[in-house]
Amino acid sequence: MSKKWHENTADGAQGSALQSPPRRQSPPPASELAWHPLWRFLVSLLVAGHLLAVFVAPWDLATGPALPPGYMPTTDSLGRPQRPAPKQWQEPLVTRSLRNFFNHYLNLLYLNHGYEFFAPDPVGTHEIDYHVTRSDGQIVEGTFPDLSTQWPRLYYHRHMMLAEQSEMINNQLVMMAEQTGVRKPFSGQVFAEHLATLHGGRARLKLKIHMLLSPDSVLAGTRLDDPSTYRLLGTVDGSPRPDRSGSSPVGQSGEAPITIPGAGQ
Amino acid sequence: MGMISDSRGYVADTWKAWNRFWFAPSDPATLCLIRLLAGSLLFYTHLVWSWDLQAFLGPDGWLPVEYLRDLHARPAADGPQWSVWSLFFWIEKPWMLWCVHVFALLVFFFLMLGLFSRTTAVLGFLLAVTYAHRISPGAYFGLDKINCMLALYLMLGPCGARYSLDRIRRLNRGDNRPVLPSASANLTIRLIQLHLCIIYLFSGLAKHMGENWQAGTAVWWAVANLEYQSIDMTWLAGWPTLVALATHATVFWEIFYCCLIWNRFARPLVLWMAVAVHGGIALFMGMITFGLAMLYANLAFLKPATVRRWVDPLADRVALMLVRAK
Repeated sequence: MSKKWHENTADGAQGSALQSPPRRQSPPPASELAWHPLWRFLVSLLVAGHLLAVFVAPWDLATGPALPPGYMPTTDSLGRPQRPAPKQWQEPLVTRSLRNFFNHYLNLLYLNHGYEFFAPDPVGTHEIDYHVTRSDGQIVEGTFPDLSTQWPRLYYHRHMMLAEQSEMINNQLVMMAEQTGVRKPFSGQVFAEHLATLHGGRARLKLKIHMLLSPDSVLAGTRLDDPSTYRLLGTVDGSPRPDRSGSSPVGQSGEAPITIPGAGQ
Repeated sequence: MGMISDSRGYVADTWKAWNRFWFAPSDPATLCLIRLLAGSLLFYTHLVWSWDLQAFLGPDGWLPVEYLRDLHARPAADGPQWSVWSLFFWIEKPWMLWCVHVFALLVFFFLMLGLFSRTTAVLGFLLAVTYAHRISPGAYFGLDKINCMLALYLMLGPCGARYSLDRIRRLNRGDNRPVLPSASANLTIRLIQLHLCIIYLFSGLAKHMGENWQAGTAVWWAVANLEYQSIDMTWLAGWPTLVALATHATVFWEIFYCCLIWNRFARPLVLWMAVAVHGGIALFMGMITFGLAMLYANLAFLKPATVRRWVDPLADRVALMLVRAK
């Protein structure tokens, strides 16, 4: 029966890849399905489990703990509201449990994420200016992202993401430090160390945010790159990282190694 | 008694409909077109890493491997998560890094051409994840999510049955058997379709939480972002109603995509809206690769007959050049 249906379609009649496609193709009756029912049942279970996992990751990421309705924070002796105790927060039990259950499956397949494209709101972009003083006194300066030097566009976009996700990484580090007591260097410092190692010198990074202009400001003639739209968030210094043997910093292009106080001792 | 037989009938009908939805054999043309396009995108996406491979993927780059693995650790758990995996977590020597990279580029190139497609599809997915985990967090964005999603599903179906060098090789060997409809091709396309529905649903819901998306101004803030801008659209400052309509339309389209796409009358409108939204992102916001990735995923809703009507004439010309006359 199944074979007959294949023969009756334009596909079945096709002798080679060179023939023209069918005009109409009607779905086959359920009785002509190709797979054994047991096989279909097992695959159905896998498909359902997979789709549940795919659904759960963004669902859980979209949820957050909530305080009970009408919750009134206690105040200290000066009348300032106190931070709610952890037990007062209501965690979304179902989404957390399901995502924990599928956690490794989602990780293995790179599915453990949400899909918040330009959400919840579009915001200004982060930029990082760097200034490296090399060991020979030369200065290396640059910015990322920088459309004039980073080409093709996707390469530029990767640099934009480095600056953009810097804050996300730092928020994660703060959360980890609160829970474990171990504090890792912020991302800006790691970037500074990379640039210092790359150019063989000391790096200083300026982390900035480029604020967005309202329609009124643009109609009034303000340029999108007006200096007033850039706001300095902080400055970070970095020295070269010790190399993998831990004995000396890594130089580039045959530069003399730079001594780091305390390194290699 | 009537209620029991009705229930039994309902279960039987549901099972039939489920089987028809997932397992009815279908022509793999749509899947093969997605392989061709997604393969080219995977190749290009990973080729661009060659510009600064060591800095982004090397052990001591922008984000050193050890630092990244600490970030992957969940504070409540002990140590890094074993399931967040990447070959690049273990590669230290630059020459090894380049070997893996060149191998990956070959795999993606072969996948695009449809050469050894069942093998390259599996390898392509594993390699795409290996890159994606190494740059998450740090330099990843939506493109990597969609690339990995498409690569994941390409593994499951006969993605090299058409529009591929595998097909040409079969014809050159004298194997003129027709490309048969395949249950796994249908299953794969269904998975891409449903995954896409989940993506749009949560993307729309996340936007709906944003004040600017609610106010109808979000599209303005997107086009006013100089770092994203590839074509100046700030003339929209004088057209607030147009901005508001575009903003609201985007949110509603994303949230209701998962319902409307299944209706045969609404489907063309939903797909043309996808062309407008993702084409706009590609053209005006400089994210050509991401825009294309989303559009390629949307091709899953094209009928195989439609794909064949569009692609077969071109594929036939290529085949005429490559197939040896017997």
